[in-house]
Amino acid sequence: MGALVYIAKRFGLYLAVLFIGLSITFLLPRLMPINPVDGYIGQIQSRANGALSAEAIAELRENLENLYGLKGNLFTQYVDYMKRIVFSFDFGPSFTYFPQPVSQMLMAALPWTLSLLLTATVIAWTLGNLVGLVAGYFHKKKAASILEFVGILLYPIPYYILAVTVLLLLAYVFPVFPLSATFPVGQMSWEKVGMIIYNSLLPGITLVLAGFGWNILSMKALAVATTEEPYVIYARLKGASNWTRMTRYVFRNALLPQVTALALSLGMVFNGALLTEMIFSYPGIGLVMRAAATGGDYNVLYGAITISIIAVATAGLVIDLLYPLLDPRIRHK
Amino acid sequence: MARHGRTWMLPIMGALMTTTVFAQGAMTDVGTPRSETMIVQTFDGRSSNPSAQNPLNSYAIWRGFRELGWAALWEMDTATGESYPELADGFPEVLNDEHTKFRVKIREGIKWSDGEDFNVDDIIFTFDTAFKYRDKLTNVSAITRLVDSYEKIDDHTFEVTTATPVYDFVTRMGVYTWGMPFNWVPQHVFEPLGDEVVTFQNAPAVTLGAYKIKEFDPNGFWQLWELREDWDESGWNIDEEPAVKYVYYKDFGTEETRALAFVQNQYDVDTFMSPDSIEAAKARNPNIETFSATFPYHDMNDACSYGIYINNQKAPYDMPEVRWALALALDLEQVGISAMSGQFKASPLPLADTPITNPLYVEPLESWLEELTIGDGYKPFNTDFGADLVETLAAQGVDQAQLPSGDAVEAGFGIGWWKHDPEQAAKMLESVGMAKGADGFFTMPDGSPWVLEFVIPGDWNKVLQRVGFSIADSWRQAGFNVNARQVDNGEFGTVQTTNARMELQINWSNSCTYNANWQNSWRNFRADNVLPADSNDALVQNYARIVDERIFDIVSESASLEIGTEEFVENGRQIAKYLTEDMQMINLMNIPTTIPTNSTYWTNFPKQDNFYAAPYTWWSSFKKTVTNVEPTGQ
Amino acid sequence: MTIDSKEMDPVTLVETPQAAEPGLFKSFLWLINPRLAVGLTILTVMGLGSFILPLFAPADPSVQATYMRNLPASGAHWLGTNALGQDIFWFLVFAIRNSLMLGVLVAVGVTIVATTVGLSAGYIGGRFERLVMLIVDTFITIPLLPILIILGSLIRGNTSFFTVGFIIIIFGWAWDARTVRSMALSIREREFINMARFSGANTAQVIIREVFPYVMAYTLVGFINTILFAINLEATLAVIGLSKVEVPTLGSIIFWALNYNALFTGHFLWLVAPIIASVTLFLGLFLTSTGFNAAFAERRGVQ
Repeated sequence: MGALVYIAKRFGLYLAVLFIGLSITFLLPRLMPINPVDGYIGQIQSRANGALSAEAIAELRENLENLYGLKGNLFTQYVDYMKRIVFSFDFGPSFTYFPQPVSQMLMAALPWTLSLLLTATVIAWTLGNLVGLVAGYFHKKKAASILEFVGILLYPIPYYILAVTVLLLLAYVFPVFPLSATFPVGQMSWEKVGMIIYNSLLPGITLVLAGFGWNILSMKALAVATTEEPYVIYARLKGASNWTRMTRYVFRNALLPQVTALALSLGMVFNGALLTEMIFSYPGIGLVMRAAATGGDYNVLYGAITISIIAVATAGLVIDLLYPLLDPRIRHK
Repeated sequence: MARHGRTWMLPIMGALMTTTVFAQGAMTDVGTPRSETMIVQTFDGRSSNPSAQNPLNSYAIWRGFRELGWAALWEMDTATGESYPELADGFPEVLNDEHTKFRVKIREGIKWSDGEDFNVDDIIFTFDTAFKYRDKLTNVSAITRLVDSYEKIDDHTFEVTTATPVYDFVTRMGVYTWGMPFNWVPQHVFEPLGDEVVTFQNAPAVTLGAYKIKEFDPNGFWQLWELREDWDESGWNIDEEPAVKYVYYKDFGTEETRALAFVQNQYDVDTFMSPDSIEAAKARNPNIETFSATFPYHDMNDACSYGIYINNQKAPYDMPEVRWALALALDLEQVGISAMSGQFKASPLPLADTPITNPLYVEPLESWLEELTIGDGYKPFNTDFGADLVETLAAQGVDQAQLPSGDAVEAGFGIGWWKHDPEQAAKMLESVGMAKGADGFFTMPDGSPWVLEFVIPGDWNKVLQRVGFSIADSWRQAGFNVNARQVDNGEFGTVQTTNARMELQINWSNSCTYNANWQNSWRNFRADNVLPADSNDALVQNYARIVDERIFDIVSESASLEIGTEEFVENGRQIAKYLTEDMQMINLMNIPTTIPTNSTYWTNFPKQDNFYAAPYTWWSSFKKTVTNVEPTGQ
Repeated sequence: MTIDSKEMDPVTLVETPQAAEPGLFKSFLWLINPRLAVGLTILTVMGLGSFILPLFAPADPSVQATYMRNLPASGAHWLGTNALGQDIFWFLVFAIRNSLMLGVLVAVGVTIVATTVGLSAGYIGGRFERLVMLIVDTFITIPLLPILIILGSLIRGNTSFFTVGFIIIIFGWAWDARTVRSMALSIREREFINMARFSGANTAQVIIREVFPYVMAYTLVGFINTILFAINLEATLAVIGLSKVEVPTLGSIIFWALNYNALFTGHFLWLVAPIIASVTLFLGLFLTSTGFNAAFAERRGVQ
């Protein structure tokens, strides 16, 4: 019974967080000093090379405000927005690319971002933790400090620099990968899938390198702390081998907080999407967001941030619900 | 860092080398023969919605539609600034004295890219659709406001009545510079849709030009065009078969990757690469060429010019002394060197100084500029600007052979600019009670602090971003407390249209006089287009905030003059004088358009000494380029 | 990813060191170990250097065209000059100072907010705690980068460079608050707290005198990590042009170097210098924070 109450409470919190998050999302883009209608009119004007008459512009402005749903006060707009999202998960049309629906734009971009970033995050996590475990368990040895040093070196390099350097090395100095990949379209075949994977390797490698450093450092710290625990010392006295102690005693215990970290970082992949996609010309949601922000395309921003908020909140919920199953200490409590 | 990267990477790289075959050479990565494909960096980078191809709404214009896809009744020859008939058979016949009724004939035998005939029914259908859905379609107001009524006469003739007298019917129904306000749509594709035309995506579009869409990337990075087999029946009025079979537009990413890919011969024409990158690229690959072999290297013939637009309605910028002080405090030579390595052409008049505009406006006003005096008889014009710049560049180690000499100095760097004279600037400010305060910055006349809000583009226009920061630096050194704000293009547009937000802004949209028809940008200077200084309403087109009644009068008087007559052009020169003598906008330079080309696969691109068309890939000039280039056989 | 560093900051995840009994803080000597010594030395040198050297700067390094452009490294210009005619060495010195100032400002802000919120929520509990945690969870959920892109377009150029700092505080305190609160939770039930309460201390006194010392060790480590987080985040914002790029910071140097394509034009010093500086600064901060951690762990072992 206690478990049910716990789940219900946690779920209530989840809904409350989503509600507040969505409300803030509604307000933020409206603080932007950009009027999307002006942006579009500017484009049309330059296309007509200034030949539009004042009346033509007034007419266009009136039409756009109606079509975009920007008429009415903020409260009406807010209620409309909540209604649309909660009942039909509909973010309306893009302003910049009217009448294209936002959900269609996001759905086209999402699989690209998710497949690349989720894979890279998991690989970086696995590799980083293995290296970190070794470095932490043998933290009194010189070699361990070198492993840690790799982490220290990789972690603070600004991501942009790391990415451009990898690009320069692996696509220019040693041209193993294309500088600016072309992703095949149309009917998918095995050959095309292979090409997509091959073209994704370079951004993938960069993301792994970037995420790697942190995982080494944190796993190392955790492993050092765990190694000092009495049960590990006891195991040593009992005569368990180095390997057994490292894997069965230290690793299993140090892993728990790392699982939390992994789950959360999976929820936050959108943060990393933007720069990766910019540098590697990779199609995805980061570029969609950036374009939307520069053009004041509120609806697209709402859509992208909302999906991100749902992802993070859900990741948090899942961890909290699963954690008792993973950690016997909490389960017993 | 690099060392580490390498040791880490070697094993991985070895593995990849053996498992993947990276073919480069014979075929492009979209499966066309490289020797028949011209690859072009897109004008706008990546498109967020490439499947929007319905020209009645906003659409992915920069994917080749302007130059390869659509065709206009009348196109513009970019080398001369003259219009020529494309879909139309000759020029329109003016049917009444008021210049409101026109008869247009279109050529026979034109076919859409799907083989259907193009005729007046398509034109009437497009008019009908535009008027019927004028409140739902977002790209038709140019035509619905210009045209009052229209009528089919026969399959190849129609008549149009305009709402007001129109003397530039050809460029408003056709093309001015590159701008194409309206496009015709195929009746046989659009009519069956009924009301759904308003949301119709139209991808891949059925087009009129000599090329048709072969494939496009739904993610917006590229689009591939193929020459139509029936190119001679396309909307283009051409006799000679284009040399290029495929045109492949692609975004090669950030400037870092673009520069590297260009050096690797992965594409043929770039746009807006920064001068530093071009210089480094040229050093690494001799096939990379700029528009001109000598300084200032790049194409300076864009229709518009860069200038600092001023909110002439807002204190203290409403005083000509303040505006002149800003111009004299600006060290354009240093700005041009810091931002563009000295590769620019200065222009003191509010328009670009090009081979087309020079004989019309610049040359006739040159002696006026030299004699111009302001304030207490001070002569602000510096005819030696170009010569001084050459000297400075030489002192900084630029090879003399790369620098122009003699008459070429003026052709390259312009007729001159304003003197850099901070002392005179200070004097002019003091004359209106603005002295430097304790912090070393000029104050408002009442002694309160004066912070100049200066809005410049962010990284979506790298050249202006750099120019803007350098100007701010130059002003700051002269004692102006400048806050340079780099903004996204959305906000840039909002500042442009909102008086309350605008003080100083780098801009180009009111200085686009391309030929004898100066109305294109200056007709917008009229009393209706002025809003109160602190207004939050959207301003229409008078982005330079011109409030000069004398100019308004000339503009309205010229509306009923035949374009190109001496009287008309003289009116244009008079506007230029008024704008200049009161420094109503600080014009800086022609737009330095950097269009480096790579001659590995194609040669005979438009260049300074081979100027058969403007070098742009996003104007009608590109129609000439794809016809005139020659394959190298590589 | 620099952006993620805060959310999953390595040291905050480390099991919280058991704070020493109050009173032991009277002597700091037990803290010193080699890591800490090296870390503190790096920080002292860089901190003092970047605050004292600017007093001797020959010119304001952010002014353009002070010198010839693109000069190689020499006795007069230790790291050469950049494409804007600025001295790279002096620009870097000012950059380290500004980045550090920003980092410390943010760290102070985040620590104060996070500790206050976390401690009070954890200790007071009940409805108050649920409300506070709802807010905390919401802030954790809002994705930082899109928000910063939006806010960046709002603030850039409009206000001072330190506004960037305040925005980082607003979106950065929640995670720390959550950690502090979970520590406070575990302490709440300890015996000596009850002792204090029975002996008549009010809530504020209990929190400050009894609970805070336990959280102190974490706070110190968290503080250092927040400095790092703020410096990195500002750098990311500057690289995409959302910070105030005319102010020298470690990020704005990189912004300008990339803007003038230093990597491609072969102007490596311009780009490599700020990276080496960031890595060194990071090393100093990291060694200091792990050094403290080790010292606390050592202490525990001694007991």
